[in-house]
Amino acid sequence: MKAEKLKGHLDLLLLSVLSRGPGHGYEVITRLKVRSGGAFQLPEGTVYPALHRLEDAGLLASGWDVVAGRRRRIYHLTAAGEAALAEQAAQWREFSGSMARVLGSAIPALATAGGMA
Amino acid sequence: MSGGTADAPTDLIEDYLDRLLVSLSGSPRQVRHTLAEVEAHLRDAVAEGIAAGLPEETAQVQALERIGPVHAVTGRPAGLARPSAALLRRLTLTAALVGGAGFVAIGGAGLVGRLLQVLKGNLFMTTPFPPGTYTQADCARWLAGDPGTRACVTAMLADHAFDYLLQATACGLLGLAGLAAYLFLRRRWSDRATATALPAGTAQGLGAILAGIAAVACFGQVAGLETVQRGVGVGEPLSLGIAATVAAAAFALALRRCLRTARMRTT
Repeated sequence: MKAEKLKGHLDLLLLSVLSRGPGHGYEVITRLKVRSGGAFQLPEGTVYPALHRLEDAGLLASGWDVVAGRRRRIYHLTAAGEAALAEQAAQWREFSGSMARVLGSAIPALATAGGMA
Repeated sequence: MSGGTADAPTDLIEDYLDRLLVSLSGSPRQVRHTLAEVEAHLRDAVAEGIAAGLPEETAQVQALERIGPVHAVTGRPAGLARPSAALLRRLTLTAALVGGAGFVAIGGAGLVGRLLQVLKGNLFMTTPFPPGTYTQADCARWLAGDPGTRACVTAMLADHAFDYLLQATACGLLGLAGLAAYLFLRRRWSDRATATALPAGTAQGLGAILAGIAAVACFGQVAGLETVQRGVGVGEPLSLGIAATVAAAAFALALRRCLRTARMRTT
């Protein structure tokens, strides 16, 4: 999936990935790739401004730790982040459900039109 | 301050971090933290590539491709990014080198012009004004500058050729000053961030292109004058064309040497 399509959903994706446990930037990106089955490919650098923005908004907090011999910034979800994740996930489910219903009713019509042509 | 880095082999990750450092905005702490976490990210990605059997350089290239350009990390569109001090320094160096060498080339054209003047005369060097476009006072001024001549046109040609040579000499001296400034500033701004703010060979490539365009334009004018005026006034564009060709060749050689050095540093 193209990076442009992911941009509007990056915050939700990051909150979701970090809801499974704290992690540093590289780990967050790796989890995102694994959980999307490799479908979500975006310039990895774009994750950092998003993480910083979420931290500024109070949805994430970070601290420094040494992991595998390297000093890393570990991010974790705050209580406000958990609430934001629940709200955004509910909105997304509602939106994707509506999209699925619309597309679901359109696809047989399209298939019929294609078959007649 | 680490003075040894300038001679160290090029590390693509270090170069990326240098560019990131000079592009980041925010408090010193925010800058330090972002730089540290991006460095950890890149080192992780390189280690992953090496573990997968890639040579280190290839692993570095892949890690940088994956993280994306510096403006992806800063979160600012490239076009809106504030030009960094390092970039401004590098642009100043580029302007001093290209401008200085360009003016020196014009000075060189003056030397070639002087040679052509001796060999072929003033009529070859410059085109006389058409009759009726100058006054008696102009003639008197030109003749006063060339007491050995009685013909107005001859004195006019000598005056114009002298002007051209004088202006070319002035440009040459200005160019030498520009090159001296370049050498002085290059020694003063020898930090890696400045050196890597633009791709290797940018100044040399720009100089070669501009000098090449100037050479083509001058020789085009020579061809036109040969056809229309049967060689009258060819000397000025011809001398400039020769100097521009020499400058383009010198810049092209410098570009090749620069790129070869950069390639050797990465291998």
